[in-house]
Amino acid sequence: MAIATLDAAVVDELIAICGEEHVFTGRSALFNRARVPAPFPAHRWAEHIPQAVVLPTSAEQISEVVKLANRRGIPVVPRAGATGLTDGAVPLRHGILVDVKLMNRILEIDHEDRTVTVQPGINMLKLNEELRPHGYIYPDDPASYPCSLVGGRIGTNGWSLIGGRYGHTRDLVISFEIVLPTGEIIQVGDGGGRKTRKSSSGYQLKHLFMGHQGTLGIVTEATLELVPRPEAEFSAFFAYPSYLDGWKATGDFARSGLATLAGVVLFDEQKVRYLRRDDEAYIPQPDWVQTVVAVAMYGQGDEVRAGARQLMRISRANGSHYLGDEISQGDWAARHDRYATPQHGRTRNGQVALMSWHCEDAAIPYSKLPEVRERWHRIVDGLRERFDAFDDWGMFAYTNGAYKPWGDYLTEIDIGIWESKWDDEMWATWVDAKREIARVAIEAGGSISACHGSCREGEVDLVPMELGGGFEVMKKIKRVLDPDNIMNPGKYLLDQAYEIDADMTSREEE
Amino acid sequence: MAESTGSETTSATGGEDGALEAKVLEEWLDAAYNCFSSGHKFCREVCPVMQVTRDERHTPTAFHANVVAMDKGLLSIEDVAEDYVHCTMCGACELRCPNTLFAGDFYRFRQRTISVVKAMRALAVEKGIHQKNWKRWAELTNRWGNEPVLGWATETGASKVRAWAVGLDIPTGGETVLFADCEAAFNRPSVPRAVALLLQAGGIEFGLMSQQWCCGGPMWETGYVDIAHTMAEHNLLDWRKTGTKRIICPDPHDYITIIEHYPELDEGFDEFEIVLALDLIAELIRDGKIELTTPIERTVTYHDPCRLNKRMGVWQAPREILRAIPGLTFVDVDHVTQWSYCSGAGSNLFVEKPELTAEISRRRLSKVAELGGGVDTLVSACPWSERPLTEAGKAAGIEVFDIFELVAEAAGFEV
Repeated sequence: MAIATLDAAVVDELIAICGEEHVFTGRSALFNRARVPAPFPAHRWAEHIPQAVVLPTSAEQISEVVKLANRRGIPVVPRAGATGLTDGAVPLRHGILVDVKLMNRILEIDHEDRTVTVQPGINMLKLNEELRPHGYIYPDDPASYPCSLVGGRIGTNGWSLIGGRYGHTRDLVISFEIVLPTGEIIQVGDGGGRKTRKSSSGYQLKHLFMGHQGTLGIVTEATLELVPRPEAEFSAFFAYPSYLDGWKATGDFARSGLATLAGVVLFDEQKVRYLRRDDEAYIPQPDWVQTVVAVAMYGQGDEVRAGARQLMRISRANGSHYLGDEISQGDWAARHDRYATPQHGRTRNGQVALMSWHCEDAAIPYSKLPEVRERWHRIVDGLRERFDAFDDWGMFAYTNGAYKPWGDYLTEIDIGIWESKWDDEMWATWVDAKREIARVAIEAGGSISACHGSCREGEVDLVPMELGGGFEVMKKIKRVLDPDNIMNPGKYLLDQAYEIDADMTSREEE
Repeated sequence: MAESTGSETTSATGGEDGALEAKVLEEWLDAAYNCFSSGHKFCREVCPVMQVTRDERHTPTAFHANVVAMDKGLLSIEDVAEDYVHCTMCGACELRCPNTLFAGDFYRFRQRTISVVKAMRALAVEKGIHQKNWKRWAELTNRWGNEPVLGWATETGASKVRAWAVGLDIPTGGETVLFADCEAAFNRPSVPRAVALLLQAGGIEFGLMSQQWCCGGPMWETGYVDIAHTMAEHNLLDWRKTGTKRIICPDPHDYITIIEHYPELDEGFDEFEIVLALDLIAELIRDGKIELTTPIERTVTYHDPCRLNKRMGVWQAPREILRAIPGLTFVDVDHVTQWSYCSGAGSNLFVEKPELTAEISRRRLSKVAELGGGVDTLVSACPWSERPLTEAGKAAGIEVFDIFELVAEAAGFEV
């Protein structure tokens, strides 16, 4: 398979900027930076590879690479952990891939103002290992906690499992430095101060430069919140005979007003059935257990003890059945590892098939969860009827608010896909299903995505519908900041921002 | 550019056209797909190589994805052979893999990255793609019978492999033999001497092989499988010649090689008992057969050798031993934290990428320095790790010892 090679002069310039040891054009360097986690149209792998990879070590190098790309009209694709579940780090139009993993240093720990300043390539688990002796945590805790990187968290506007107490990525990142699509290096945050948490000065640019999936620049440094390491953790798992019982209890817990409550997680009936496919999760539970709710509290010992007592009182009042300390502590501790398992894939007749995990992640108001759940499962049932290569792995709903765990929920449906069966027809059917899943979320008054981003095929078609006039503003911003569509092109329908030019040109020619 | 490497291609040796490649793909495709399709990447930050290079080509994810890409015709072994050098076979990735952690028992499946790396290195060698220094190492090992651990120009070999035992009055052969690894036998003779003295003190009767060759481990690890077989077959024959039934291994690399690879070659392997010296000496101390009476006034921390901790789950015995040494202050770092630590020595990384090994060791020593509390000594239980750790220790002002060296001293011996 031929790869369109970059002009040798461009490669020479990249080497001049980043150093010979940080520029790669070999096939394995390119193919191994084409993918993010599933689903990935593996049969179209070769369409999504970069032409060169650079591992820069400074903001200045990134700036020079971006300027070079502008001069030459070559796409630039930022890549941090590449653990995202939309295709932010996938080079859809080839080009130069800027991999920030080498920029993983801690630059400053400020004990007085309680911040840590880091480079974008650092991982949260690694950061917390370094913070531990100081008595701090950086509480950004996604499922990908052991592997995702701070730069990618900013690029996707991530969500944290314990955000109900500590906030999500946007709340925890105080400010950052970013290389704009034209190469300028700017600082954005709340106002001008790098460590200012709240400002009314000027436009609030921090939010604009988060969650853009790499279409508006490359973060090169970030100043993050430091939180006192909690003295106490209380986690509890409860069981229910039906989804609606669990849903009601979830609402009770989330609306309790307990300040230490960091998150509530609702496992639906299909999810419990999925987990029963292996021998370690919920098989020991009696058959009547159809739905599970997990809660977690963090804080100082005194407040967590009191909060936990109150939470257990609520659980007794609403008919929750406590599942015991072993599951409550063990399963919570294992939360990051309990991702999804290819071997849990099942064909219609129950045979094991190695399936990749895909997760659709809408934000849905609490009141609409039961309705959305039914509609989403029906969509997946339809997929499964058509191709014996899809599998319903059930749904989770997680509290989604920052600092106050009520209101809307990160609602995900996990779908197993037997990827080695991919062909164009199966892929097209899948894309249609994604679009329908997104439509249900919007019709429920929610958002297509709570944390992954919504720029993959299918769902992305409905982004203009979700954002209304906001999408028109997005296009204008993109055009102004990235006049030549260099920065991660092909994402979020933003190519449409440049169609105006084409229209204008053709009119002038007439 | 950085990927222009030390790989050199010679005419392919052995193997029919693509037969091995087809076999490797067939054997590993499902497992590779299991990783490719889940894409967890939890292995990455725990990988000692990845922590330094930060290069996605050097991740267990890539090591599996390459197999999928080769099956699809997108990559070839020529494209990826050099990537597979970047692995110490420490096993951290396998421990950290959610596929193994949460479904392994049920499906009897384990993500076996180390085996994939071995298979790909062997495939590269079979295709005539060599790493220059690994090839040289293999050729000299084959010529001398022992690894060239003293440098390219200083011959090792079976005639000298017992030099460390001078004056210890150890017989040849017998039911039990002490198997001293190449690195310790030639480069750190204090380790086998310490073990021998302790075994003698503990009342264990043992001999040495009449002609001990390399265990073959580094040959399996770097893809020179034929040479590995030659080494192993020689050792098996030597054991049988002297009626040996029990082999005591002070070196975790020897131990794991023998228990993992020798049974593949020898149907009657069950007649042998392979004993890890660490377990045996812990037992002798526990039973009071070795008395530790000489105080050792040091503040030490322990380096969990990867093959012991991550690959075999052996982490309690060395801690038990250290706590039994009088005078010693032991500042422990738990063995799970140490999943992400490594010396960088494993699977001959130091032969092909010495600067990478040195950086991994430097980082390991910086973890020691961060402990504070007056820690002045790092104790390991693996001679291979002690080579780069000792070098890094000099720069960090931390002394590095083998656990047996300290135990022997505490038992009143001079080694």
